[in-house]
Amino acid sequence: MRAFSFWPKGFLQCFLKGDRLTRWLVTLPPSLFLVIFFLLPSLIMVAASFREPGEFGGLAPLAERGLTLEAYRFLAEDIIYLWILAKSFLVAGLTTLFCLLLAFPVALLIARSPKRQRDFLVLLVILPFASNFLIRIYAWIMILGPMNLLYSPVAVILGMVYVHLPFMVLPLYTNLEKHDPALLEAAQDLGAGAWTRFWRITFPLSLPGVFSGAALVFIPVLGMFAVPELLGGTGDILIGNLIKEQFLDNRDWPLGASLSLGLTAAVLGVAALSAVLTRRRTGKLGAGT
Amino acid sequence: MKGLALLLLMLCSLACAEDVLYLYNWNNYISEQTAARFEAWCRCKLKQDYYSDNEEMLAKLEAGATGYDLLVPTGNAVETLIRKKELRPIDPKQLPHFGNLHPAYRDAWYDSGNRYSVPYAYTVTLLGYNATRLKELGLPTDTWALIFEPAYLKKLKGKVTVLNSQRELMAAALLYLGHPAQDTDPLHWQAARDLILRAKPYWAAFSNSTYIKDLAIGNIWVAHGYSNDMFRAREDAKAAHRPFSVEFRIPKEGAVLAVDNFVIHKASRRPDLAHRFIDFMLSGENAADVSNLIGAGNPNQAALPHIRPEVAGETAIFPNAADRQRLSMLRDLEPAQRRLMSRIWTEIKVR
Repeated sequence: MRAFSFWPKGFLQCFLKGDRLTRWLVTLPPSLFLVIFFLLPSLIMVAASFREPGEFGGLAPLAERGLTLEAYRFLAEDIIYLWILAKSFLVAGLTTLFCLLLAFPVALLIARSPKRQRDFLVLLVILPFASNFLIRIYAWIMILGPMNLLYSPVAVILGMVYVHLPFMVLPLYTNLEKHDPALLEAAQDLGAGAWTRFWRITFPLSLPGVFSGAALVFIPVLGMFAVPELLGGTGDILIGNLIKEQFLDNRDWPLGASLSLGLTAAVLGVAALSAVLTRRRTGKLGAGT
Repeated sequence: MKGLALLLLMLCSLACAEDVLYLYNWNNYISEQTAARFEAWCRCKLKQDYYSDNEEMLAKLEAGATGYDLLVPTGNAVETLIRKKELRPIDPKQLPHFGNLHPAYRDAWYDSGNRYSVPYAYTVTLLGYNATRLKELGLPTDTWALIFEPAYLKKLKGKVTVLNSQRELMAAALLYLGHPAQDTDPLHWQAARDLILRAKPYWAAFSNSTYIKDLAIGNIWVAHGYSNDMFRAREDAKAAHRPFSVEFRIPKEGAVLAVDNFVIHKASRRPDLAHRFIDFMLSGENAADVSNLIGAGNPNQAALPHIRPEVAGETAIFPNAADRQRLSMLRDLEPAQRRLMSRIWTEIKVR
């Protein structure tokens, strides 16, 4: 229930003390949203993955062709699909790592700036969103072309990091801003150097921010197809491109659905893992607060 | 009561509706001036929605989209739409300008007798190149060998892009190997895959749109792409006074021709306006606009005098009779063939 601690006190009391109507009213809209926009589409995908592709796109009529495991058999037959999934995880992992390394100093700088400047600095971080994502990627084409970096795995990672950096900065900043400066002063008084202060206090306290930032970067990167398509070379295909191809170019919804479910399963696995890690961490550190 | 009010409202919206023609079209495929001229002429409104890919348009219709009077599908998509019974037959009596069409572009394999479709414009998938560079390197410009043969590619490493389209690239490879572009023999497909894999290390990227800019600024020296895009790259390079020129040619082994057609959707509410629009676009002056706008090929003979000479005189945009013999149109694949093609394509992408 920690998550709800920002609600007004009386309301929280109502919520917790068995007023079932309030509880329903509060949880219904988000649950409904998740059911309609996540659960139902996922179930449709599951159903689609067991059908046969229609001749004109879509799915073949159920009455005529029935259900089949063909799409899964086709994927299992060839190791390349697993290999592409693994490669996508590698790219997502590297992107997350670089985003973290770049975002941490920025977030720290903003959090330690005078209060009046912080909003302005946060605005600067969000500013790139004001221009269209594709236009910014095209700008990278013009920058990377003369540097002979265009159409390479490096360009893909660079583009991915560039696009997702704000999603790492913002949660980190929100976390770092809340740190009590007294902790650092106390550590300094006790003789801790700058590095020790960072490593033993700031970083462990920032882990919830790191995890939520990592999730906000890692998961979208896994599904991204535009960046590898525009900046990638001849070998830089990711799982997102493969799924997009099945739906938009190849009229093979069942294959696209089964690929997409594989990705969803992998993403949920990562999300569960990060949730467990976050809980363990905050459980340990939160004991004192 | 409520139901009655709703009924009245619906009746009114039918009767009171102004004349609007809904066109589902390619991006940038009808100039604003042409559209404005049509609106003034028919005293109606032309509303456009856009797609950038036949499959995108088909997917949207498959998902149940209605409300479009006219579509502009490429030949293979016309065939699909006819087989799906999605189209409304065209009434030839309402198209007095039909005779303007060049006989070579009538009676296409996908719609003999033009019962459903009226050709509007076409492109050829060919090779665009940096003429200055290729001359310096002493490379030929009229053969697919330029993008498939390591002997040539050695001099072009990292300076070649090919289309990010399984059908187009496989068609080019099949043509180079001496097979028809629409060949479906799995053994020939494997040979084409091997040819592509041998050449791939020399290519910079698979690109469907960025090659226009890359050719025009000199990042890329050879690009596999569409004739109208190559025309734009050439114009862009010229306008920017680059120290080189961009040219394009139809390879001697043959190439893919894509003819886009006007068709009327079966759910069209205004077939009368749709026919008027098609006939309006068949008159030479209006038909010429698309060639002047984007450098598309034009099946309309009466349009030729109205087309800028640098477009009309380009044989890669307007192929002559001998060139036309070497052009062929793609046909849609069966679901099982599509899956096999997709596996081959994925292999090509990963290796």
